Amino acid sequence: MPTVTFLPSFRKVEIVKGSTILEAAQKAGFHINVVCGGQGKCGKCKVIVKSGRTEFDHEQYESILSAAEVEDGVCLACQAKVIDDLRVVIPDATLVQEQQILVDSGEIPTALNPAVWKYFLTLVPPSLDDQSPDLTRLLWEIEKSGGPKERAIYAPLEVIRRIPRVLRDSGWKITATVALVPGGYRLIHVEKGDTASHIYGAAVDLGTTTIVVYIRNLADGHIMGIGSSYNHQISCGEDILSRVTYAKSGGGLTKLQSLAVDSINVALTEASNSAGIDREDIYEVVVAGNTIMTHILMGIDPAYMIEEPYVPVVRRYLTTAAQRIGLAVGENSGLFIFPAVSDFIGGDIIADILASGMAESEEISLLIDIGTNFEVVLGNRDWMFTCAGAAGPALEGGEVLFGMRANPGAIERITIDPVTLVPSFSTIHNQKPKGICGSGLIDLLAQLLEACVIDRTGRINMTIAHERIRMGRHVPEFVVAWKDETAIGRDIVVTENDIKALIMSKASVLAACQTLMNKAGIARGEISRIFFAGAFGNYLDKNHAITIGLIPEVPVGRVTGIGNGAIAGANIALLNRRKKKVLDEIAEKIAYVELNAEPAFMDEYTRSCFLPHTDLSLFPDVETKLGQCRIRRGST
Amino acid sequence: MASLKPLDIYKLLPKKNCKECGDPTCLTFAMKLAGGKAQPDQCPYLDENAKAILGASTRPPIQKVKIGVGERSFTLGEEMVQYRHEKTFIHEPGIMTAIPDTMPGDRIKEITTDVRDYVLTRIGTDLRLNGIAIRCESGSPGEFSRAVEAVESVADLPEVLMSTDPVCMEAGLGVSGNYRPLIHAATHENYQEMCRLAKKFSCPLAIRADTLDSLADLSSKCATEGVSNLLLDLTSPSLHEVLNRTTAVRQHAVTRQTPALGYPVFLDCAQPGLEDAFLVTGVAKFGSVLVCNPLSQPVRKALLVLRQNIYTDPQKPIQITPGLYRIGSPGKDAPVLLSVNFSLTFFTLQGYLEASRVPSLMLVVDTEGLSVLTAVASGKLQEAMVKEAIAKFDLGNAVSHRKLIIPGYAAPLSGRIEDATGWKVLVGPRDAADIAEFLLQEWKP
Amino acid sequence: MGISTISDWTGQIGELVIGATRSEGGTRSRTLKVGGEKDLNGIGNAPLGYPAVVAYEIADDPDLWPAVARHAVGDASSDPAAWARFAEAEIRPDLIRLYCTSTRRRGFSDCAAIRKTVEEVLQATSLPISIEGSNDPAIDSEVYQKIGEAAAGERILLGTAEAGRYRSVAAAAMAYGHSIIAQSPIDINLAKQLNILLREIGIPRDRIAIDPYTGALGYGFEYSYSVMERIRTAALKGDEDLAMPMISSAVDSLTIKEVREAEGEDADRIAVAWELYAMLPAYLAGAAIVSVRHPETVPLIRDACSSLFQVHPGGGE
Repeated sequence: MPTVTFLPSFRKVEIVKGSTILEAAQKAGFHINVVCGGQGKCGKCKVIVKSGRTEFDHEQYESILSAAEVEDGVCLACQAKVIDDLRVVIPDATLVQEQQILVDSGEIPTALNPAVWKYFLTLVPPSLDDQSPDLTRLLWEIEKSGGPKERAIYAPLEVIRRIPRVLRDSGWKITATVALVPGGYRLIHVEKGDTASHIYGAAVDLGTTTIVVYIRNLADGHIMGIGSSYNHQISCGEDILSRVTYAKSGGGLTKLQSLAVDSINVALTEASNSAGIDREDIYEVVVAGNTIMTHILMGIDPAYMIEEPYVPVVRRYLTTAAQRIGLAVGENSGLFIFPAVSDFIGGDIIADILASGMAESEEISLLIDIGTNFEVVLGNRDWMFTCAGAAGPALEGGEVLFGMRANPGAIERITIDPVTLVPSFSTIHNQKPKGICGSGLIDLLAQLLEACVIDRTGRINMTIAHERIRMGRHVPEFVVAWKDETAIGRDIVVTENDIKALIMSKASVLAACQTLMNKAGIARGEISRIFFAGAFGNYLDKNHAITIGLIPEVPVGRVTGIGNGAIAGANIALLNRRKKKVLDEIAEKIAYVELNAEPAFMDEYTRSCFLPHTDLSLFPDVETKLGQCRIRRGST
Repeated sequence: MASLKPLDIYKLLPKKNCKECGDPTCLTFAMKLAGGKAQPDQCPYLDENAKAILGASTRPPIQKVKIGVGERSFTLGEEMVQYRHEKTFIHEPGIMTAIPDTMPGDRIKEITTDVRDYVLTRIGTDLRLNGIAIRCESGSPGEFSRAVEAVESVADLPEVLMSTDPVCMEAGLGVSGNYRPLIHAATHENYQEMCRLAKKFSCPLAIRADTLDSLADLSSKCATEGVSNLLLDLTSPSLHEVLNRTTAVRQHAVTRQTPALGYPVFLDCAQPGLEDAFLVTGVAKFGSVLVCNPLSQPVRKALLVLRQNIYTDPQKPIQITPGLYRIGSPGKDAPVLLSVNFSLTFFTLQGYLEASRVPSLMLVVDTEGLSVLTAVASGKLQEAMVKEAIAKFDLGNAVSHRKLIIPGYAAPLSGRIEDATGWKVLVGPRDAADIAEFLLQEWKP
Repeated sequence: MGISTISDWTGQIGELVIGATRSEGGTRSRTLKVGGEKDLNGIGNAPLGYPAVVAYEIADDPDLWPAVARHAVGDASSDPAAWARFAEAEIRPDLIRLYCTSTRRRGFSDCAAIRKTVEEVLQATSLPISIEGSNDPAIDSEVYQKIGEAAAGERILLGTAEAGRYRSVAAAAMAYGHSIIAQSPIDINLAKQLNILLREIGIPRDRIAIDPYTGALGYGFEYSYSVMERIRTAALKGDEDLAMPMISSAVDSLTIKEVREAEGEDADRIAVAWELYAMLPAYLAGAAIVSVRHPETVPLIRDACSSLFQVHPGGGE
């Protein structure tokens, strides 16, 4: 088999001749950007072949590769086939960059009511007077210690097989673990000595891009450790649809399933290492993820969700033994998967709802989870409407000339002096700026509007004579940072097209909120809380989000970031089993609104393609502020 | 008039989530009710109050009336809204060509044949005139029935029999009464007789009175007589008066303020010097049966197209099938223009291209019926689709060059389309009206 | 107590004045007022507002004008001033709309000629005037400046401002005291957005006419019809950013296939029918100014609109 050596790390891997360089890189543990899912379309997986033979048709990709790149031996990792030993350089840009993964779940007050218990038991050894069997003896003792009744506990064969040895080797001092599963109480583990304090559970947020794991002590509820990982499936396609496409290919689903499990295990290991605990002592794993991710994790075909009539295979919550799907936790540990509402509204959103508490309140709340796709939930404990849509990548920095993800060097905060139009900004890790991430773009949009540099449709006012306002290659642009201030040696600008892309993205979100509000007949004044879930929501400036009309105008104090709602919800369900019952109720209660089937949605969208909205009476405070801005601008 | 929101309806439902209506929850059922996609009686647990509220909000406030029998018969009424943008108008008005019974039989047959055979095909739909109105001007039952016979001898078109004399009317009905003609008209003076005829022949009846109050009174009287398939004749020599009457009747009907006016509207548009204006007002402003003199070719075309336009469902954009469309006989060096499958955009561009007399090709991509502006805005027009369409419709073989003219509003996509397709992109004008000038000045294969 | 129309509107359409007489600093023989309604056009026993304004459209470069409209006026079309004079004398519209079609030619640069044309047309007719300038951001600024200056004091209606290019038109209108046609592509929201943009750069509400763009009958007219109705009812419900008079122009009517394929007299008949059957519904939907290109449509549309508006039709001039 040929060997592929990856530079500069000199990581080596053997691979079957004819495999792609991408497959070799994956085998070597590199996470390569494959936006298109390995179809040779996106050009994100460029690698440089330094020596050795590959099979790669440069002519076919001449639209993606420049002549100079071809000259340098650049080819696409997903298309180039390994013929013999290779030395390959993976440029930084090709690797998935480390980004801020939102791990904090905030403080979630919930009662401690786990679904798994440990009992340290000292058994009376059997005698001729007392010949009751080992198992009965053990279960009685559990009952006597305040646990479930002996007859109510089911003991699986593999545990029973362990019992005689463990009892006798331990001198009849053992710890028994009992879990409450849908079938009732189950004896899941028996071990020597007193390990009653070693009872842990894992809450998992299975995201399309990232995975976050919390390990909690189920005896007292404390957080023991936190781990995170990239979703290794990224090498099979960046967005969810390309994953499903990949799953349809031969063996694709199996591959994605094992990549999902690997990713969770990586995060689990990190978390358990930081906690200093043994993964075997994790007795329950609770996973919240979008519907497609959880289907894939369980090895269930997700294909029918992305074609008409868009049906998932399961909607209710799922339970199984965690080891059955390959999770590296205790042998009989349980796995609980959050229920879903529809193909687009998954367990992650149910987890958001749980974490927000909106399903238990009489007050009406609006919950917004923004990524490339967004989900919106409106309602209270009696009723809920939800919808989902595509916001486009602009809010995450995609499709914006100098947009980038929230990586080090990204401008994340901007203010613009209304008189001099000079921006001041801060970047992630205080590095020299490389680009602008989502929260920075929101600031920029709001500040340019307040400074009257752009009008409400986002067009730059070219009649302002200022060095930062200029005609770019195709369209007008505003200079955010001069090239000598940056890490990239070029001026960082925002173009009129970037601004339009941002407005379209924000308009999708606002139009979805408005559509649900109209559907329910709820005015903005009736909304008591707006919850922002997700990384984006945590970092953005809430005032600016209202100024540009990303969300309806409410007093800013009513807007709360709940951070990573998926992990928060998973934690709650892990700690308090009673909340699991609520989950299916939530999932049942929600009415899903298909935006594409709503004639009013396009109208709302057009209304929202304006800063902040065409109906200015929906944003009275913003209007007052902008009015003052215009007066100030007019007087300078 | 204001339709109920799902949450308002939900509050009226039992909130049992029993699933017996076929929906998973009361809330999803409420959404369907609000959208007119379910009926209240699908819920077995509605109380009387809820039934009353929900029943009233889903039942059409305007009486359904059918005129004629067979293929050319048509239905009126059942309208729900004041403005077509609120939902849609439902039943197109019938256009009835009037002939006097004093007209020679041959001429009557000629006109009837013309009405029977005339057809204008637009966007795959056949547009037709609907029927014949026979005016009893002779005052003679014999003349009147002779004229009705002449009409009947060439066509089984829907008819309006126009006479206020019950004797003449009965003579006419003796000829065509079994084919459900509209009886015109009952007044306060003759309504008992006319109602008797309407019942005897099971025909719809148009009623006429001086004021709307008097008309509401008359409709109640006819209802008492057992005739509820009524039309309200709102004709007045003053077009201003007609507009105000039709508007008031529709308002009172759809708001259910005056249920006695909840009937379709009849207008005699054959008014000297203002027939076009009466017809336009009738089509746009709530007319259901429009009587007119024989119309010239240009006017009937314009009228039928206007009627089609006004009665198109505004929530369903008419879409064109994506594909490669040829204008004239384009050669290998003909320009190719990218467009979207929104019918308005397509037809407008097609019109201007034809006018330019430059043979060309239109590459129409599927933007789900959105215009260029909205498609670009909402991401429904993307470079990948253009690339796909070029391959799918084999554009590479249709022309020998590799240049694509894109709409001016799609300019933000120019670079990406060029990158994705490898075709050179020329940004065309935003206004289709400027396309001829653009081709003349800019196009070189 | 008689049954009549239900009018529970709260809003009123603003008034717009077109043209200035000598006493007002211009040279027009009269001024036109539009707007002022508190209901749909013609509704009510004594409707508020003004009769429809019927505009007749001419062009400075007739090659870029529908043949049927050109032929209908014979030689007069060869010169904009002569055309305007002919229009006032023979066609008698309320308003003449001059399209500077010459600016639509690629590479146009002769702004001085535009200035001259405007001056000559203003000399040739005493009717209030509306002028359509260029349609290209690269030349807009100069073209509108020239038009605005040449017509200074005449309070013309200057077209066309669009969301992507409104600053030049607005600047010329503000500098020389004109009003603006604000055009948006058949969408109530885009119409409103443009009005807000114009308001925020200082154009008063009574200086704006909304042109929601009118598709030809059978070619999108249904969209225009409903957008006009929506704009009008929104204004009547109190939306001040939509409470400006509307202008509807049958710009596309004479280039449709039905007109082009007809010959001779038939072409005229079809052209007139197509304009009339679009402009009259446009009036019913809320347009205050209806604008046509075929001379024979002018008296027909005027008679029809006044019959709808007036309580007693044909009640004398």
